[in-house]
Amino acid sequence: MTIRHRARCRLRRVRGLRGLVLVVCLLLAGCGKQSILSPRSPQAHDIRTLWWWMLAVATIVFLGALGMLGLAWFRRGTPGLPFFGEREHVSQALVLIFGIGIPLVVLVTLFGASDVYLVGQTSPPPARDTAMTIDVIGHQWWWEVRYPGTDAVTANEIHIPVDTRVNVVATTADVIHSFWVPQLARKIDEIPGRHNRVLLFASTAGRYRGQCSQFCGFQHANMALYVIAQPRAAFNAWLANMASPAVSPTTPTARAGEQIFMANQCASCHQIRGTSAQGLVGPDLTHVASRRTLAGAEIRNTPAELRRWIADPQAIKPGARMPDLGLSATDYDDIAAYLEGLH
Amino acid sequence: MSGVSPRRLASGRVTRSAQADRAAAAALVARQRRSAPNGIWGMALFLCSEITIFGTMISSYFYLESDNKHWPPAGIKPPSVTLPLIATGVLVLTIVPMFLASRAARRGARPAVLGFVSLALVVQCAYLAVQILLFRHDLNQFRPQDTAYGSIYFTLLATHHAHVLLGILLDVVVLAYVAIRGLTNYWLTAVRNLAIYWYVVNVIAIVVVLTQLSPSL
Amino acid sequence: MATTSTRNAEAQLDLLERVWAERKGLLGWITTTDHKRIGIMYFFTALVMFGAGGVEALLIRTQLIGPHQTVLSPQAYDEVFTMHGITMIFLFVIPMTTGAFGNYLIPLMIGARDMAFPRLNALSYWIYLGSAIFMYAGLAGGHAPNAGWFDYVPLASKTYDPGNNIDFYGWGLIFNGISSTAASINFIVTIFKLRAPGMSLNRMPLFCFAFLAVSFALLFALPSLSVAALFLELDRNLGFHFYDAAHGGDPLLWQNLFWIFGHPEVYIIILPAFGIATAIIPTFTHRKMVLFPLVALAEILVAFLGFGVWVHHMFTVGYPTLVTVYFAAASLIIVIPSGIQLFSWIATILTGTPEFKTPLLWIVGFIVYFMLGGLSGVALAAIPFDQQVHDSYFIIAHFHFVIFGAAVFPILGGMYFWFPKLTGRMYHEGIGKLSFWTTFIGTFVTFFPMHILGLLGMPRRIYTYPAGMGWTFLNALESVGAYVLASGLVLIVLNLFISYFRGPVCEADPWEGDTLEWSTSSPPPAYNFPVIPTVSSPYPMWDKEDRELDKRRLERGEGLMATGHETLATTMQDAEVDEILSMPSHSIWPPVCALMLFGIFAMLLLHHYWIAFGFGVAGGLALISWHDKEAHAG
Repeated sequence: MTIRHRARCRLRRVRGLRGLVLVVCLLLAGCGKQSILSPRSPQAHDIRTLWWWMLAVATIVFLGALGMLGLAWFRRGTPGLPFFGEREHVSQALVLIFGIGIPLVVLVTLFGASDVYLVGQTSPPPARDTAMTIDVIGHQWWWEVRYPGTDAVTANEIHIPVDTRVNVVATTADVIHSFWVPQLARKIDEIPGRHNRVLLFASTAGRYRGQCSQFCGFQHANMALYVIAQPRAAFNAWLANMASPAVSPTTPTARAGEQIFMANQCASCHQIRGTSAQGLVGPDLTHVASRRTLAGAEIRNTPAELRRWIADPQAIKPGARMPDLGLSATDYDDIAAYLEGLH
Repeated sequence: MSGVSPRRLASGRVTRSAQADRAAAAALVARQRRSAPNGIWGMALFLCSEITIFGTMISSYFYLESDNKHWPPAGIKPPSVTLPLIATGVLVLTIVPMFLASRAARRGARPAVLGFVSLALVVQCAYLAVQILLFRHDLNQFRPQDTAYGSIYFTLLATHHAHVLLGILLDVVVLAYVAIRGLTNYWLTAVRNLAIYWYVVNVIAIVVVLTQLSPSL
Repeated sequence: MATTSTRNAEAQLDLLERVWAERKGLLGWITTTDHKRIGIMYFFTALVMFGAGGVEALLIRTQLIGPHQTVLSPQAYDEVFTMHGITMIFLFVIPMTTGAFGNYLIPLMIGARDMAFPRLNALSYWIYLGSAIFMYAGLAGGHAPNAGWFDYVPLASKTYDPGNNIDFYGWGLIFNGISSTAASINFIVTIFKLRAPGMSLNRMPLFCFAFLAVSFALLFALPSLSVAALFLELDRNLGFHFYDAAHGGDPLLWQNLFWIFGHPEVYIIILPAFGIATAIIPTFTHRKMVLFPLVALAEILVAFLGFGVWVHHMFTVGYPTLVTVYFAAASLIIVIPSGIQLFSWIATILTGTPEFKTPLLWIVGFIVYFMLGGLSGVALAAIPFDQQVHDSYFIIAHFHFVIFGAAVFPILGGMYFWFPKLTGRMYHEGIGKLSFWTTFIGTFVTFFPMHILGLLGMPRRIYTYPAGMGWTFLNALESVGAYVLASGLVLIVLNLFISYFRGPVCEADPWEGDTLEWSTSSPPPAYNFPVIPTVSSPYPMWDKEDRELDKRRLERGEGLMATGHETLATTMQDAEVDEILSMPSHSIWPPVCALMLFGIFAMLLLHHYWIAFGFGVAGGLALISWHDKEAHAG
């Protein structure tokens, strides 16, 4: 290889590297839907800062080692080190400095920053240091959400007041799940026999997507949830609504739907407070129409989607516990009309 | 090739141990070795694995205990201490005949080997019989299918008894071969290995019984 | 005088050839106890398993190439990703490193004629084959294990996984574990007792240190897995409650027992790679390893320290901070022995005169990926960060860089490196380099973006994902990368396969290697060495006087030990000659015992407990027949 050719190769490699970094930045900056790089709480923010520092140090270390390998390639005809020649003691010192010395310094620093200091911030505080408690119970494959001290029960959607320290108690009704809303908090597993807790705090109002992140069976992929942080007044209004019993249907189709609902399997799995439907197997449907999503936050809660879900849940979420009900098309229309009214 | 003293390599005194197929020759080979034979190493390493199995089960016992407020759970009597301890004590005494058997093997004393191993075998069989009776008695009081306590209790004990049974079977095989074929280099090492197996099983028996009886101690 | 001793030497060599001749035909292979033949059987079986695991990987990547694909149903996907993990870890990487490389090379490197327990060696292979068939029988029947390779309960309990999918996992892993336990015992005794005279422990090749460390780690780690699996099967099939919170049990008991095995397992996976790297580097850089004793110590330390860190797989289960902080500290400490080795390799390459032929290229690739995977591992020891990215694609990125990039690359490099020794032919260097770069780039494109996906919140083990999450492009890129990676691997197989038939014949030592396997012919004769070599340094092939001494002894007909199937046992520390051992050759009992074990586990799976007991009795009788035939001279 001529010198010019080698130089051109090097230049191409550098340009390529810059291009790669640019693409990476674009990818990282744009998409914050469930990203730990778009924090909306002090805890998540601190973790992101930790990440950037660790990335910076790791990049330096990696490029340093890569540089040594590159040097080895360039000097492959000459034994020994540049400047130092073939002095074995220098090579040995190199190993000791880079293999023991520098790592010790870096590791102790990392340990102090993350496992002594920051871990105190990400551990759940005692419940008395929080403003409210929410119970999140994992099921295959949906999230049950309860507000102790009230009658409010909902599913797959957690509302919290902005700027409020919320104590989430994470448990499970069946297998191990993991409650994770990356923009707000670290994840916490839901394990049978344990009452794990995590601090949930949103600095800004908004909708934050979360997802189960411990493999829990066939529909683990479709077990998402939303945390909606609202101003205190809006939250109180929402909570009051959630705690109230279901509104009665007003239209004829809705009333027909209610009757079909109560007469069939629906009522044996789902609860609609204020009616005879008291099933506890599936999500509480008392205010189902107020939610933005359905089926573990996988489909939007529109009339068409709601009807599609009721008519054939297995087509949308194969393996889900909701069976094919075997009712007629008009029955499904009526049930959908009934549920759409449950704001 | 048989019945002669071990041959030597032209360049030095190195034994061809496999050729020692009489007790005296095998004893000579055993004396001339400077490091433990491969067979002993194999048994020792196998026993490391078995010890780890018991360590894992015993740790699980105490782990589960730490998870439970009542241990044994309500409705299950804490284990009675006397019989298990006596039985274990009797088993541990068989270390003596096994040790003597191992020493006799190294001396090439075949009748002594047969005598000591047989004595140990009888006591070990008696021990196992008593333990099986106690096991069945316990099964009538509580079942492994009822609680985690039952599950670990019976599994730990059954694993130990299985090792005792295996030892008894090894006793029989070794006795048969030493009686019929004689104390060859191979079976001399086997007798030593049998003794080592029983030393470890006896120590494990002590640890297991103390674990089993820990709620009552 | 010279003529008489030459004739005597020739007569003895003839005798050696005849005494050690392998039986012909299929029966010869089935009854073999020769470590080289067993190594070859392990190699091809593990290669088939690599292919199976690779197909599973490509299925996963094809399913995930875009949102809402329907290549695999959720049920099928769960079986595929579970089998991918089980296959790659238990049925490919461990058997390939310990069974194939270890078996073939360790006796050659220490100057012995076989392993310490040749029949036990054969048993290890047949049990491995049996366990592979056992687990794939589940897949063939449509009920493969489907709860992930670490199989958390209660998902894997009878309540939530009622079929017998998980029973293939539980019984299969216990079955497979017997193979590795036996192999570990064999390696340890071989390395301790069968080294050539003069090869004291501190003069042993680093490859052997690595395998010694691996063997001890396997010996002490496997029981935890076996006990965990036994408890699981008792819970599932006999109604016990080890893991059942409602009856005093604890699902976390499974996690603890599993990871007490599982973490040492990952060091078991990588240590042989360290060993292969330390065999290739001195050869291709033409210099001794920098700080050799420290590297040997580091290899052993990694295996030892690996037992104290397992809770770092469980930072999100809700343990108290003190517990997690202790295990994070322990996890960080392992960076030190890893760093020592890493910079010793780099320093050796830097200060030597490296020839970047294919084997060394693979080692450079290994170093790159070991660094990248190690650095992401260090980040994961920062508990708050781990608590964000645990069970996300960031973890998948981390472990594939260390398991594939760092553990498998040396295997691929080793295949090229030792190909001339096994076959007597040279592979095609140009295609070798092409296969390296294709695989290297494919690996990067497949796994690097996964770090980003994890940071963007994509959990692992999901059979699909919605559009609009910012995950689509990266997933598509990774899937393309997987196909590139696969083509690189195919190139390796093609290169070696064609070179086996058409490659140029080469000499016994084409690389000027430093260890003893290069002193014998290519391929080695059945008896490995006509005369057991004398050793005075860790680089025996570079000690010309010692090799001259061996040649003179051979010419004089001295020390061939041709009267039987014999090798030399030496003392443990200083390798002084202790006794001549007679090795068994050809026995039907190892495969028979393996078959009986297969019967036991199959019957346990099918709940036919009395028939399983029957197989146990048969197996016991087979074992007695085995020991009935003592190894005998002549």
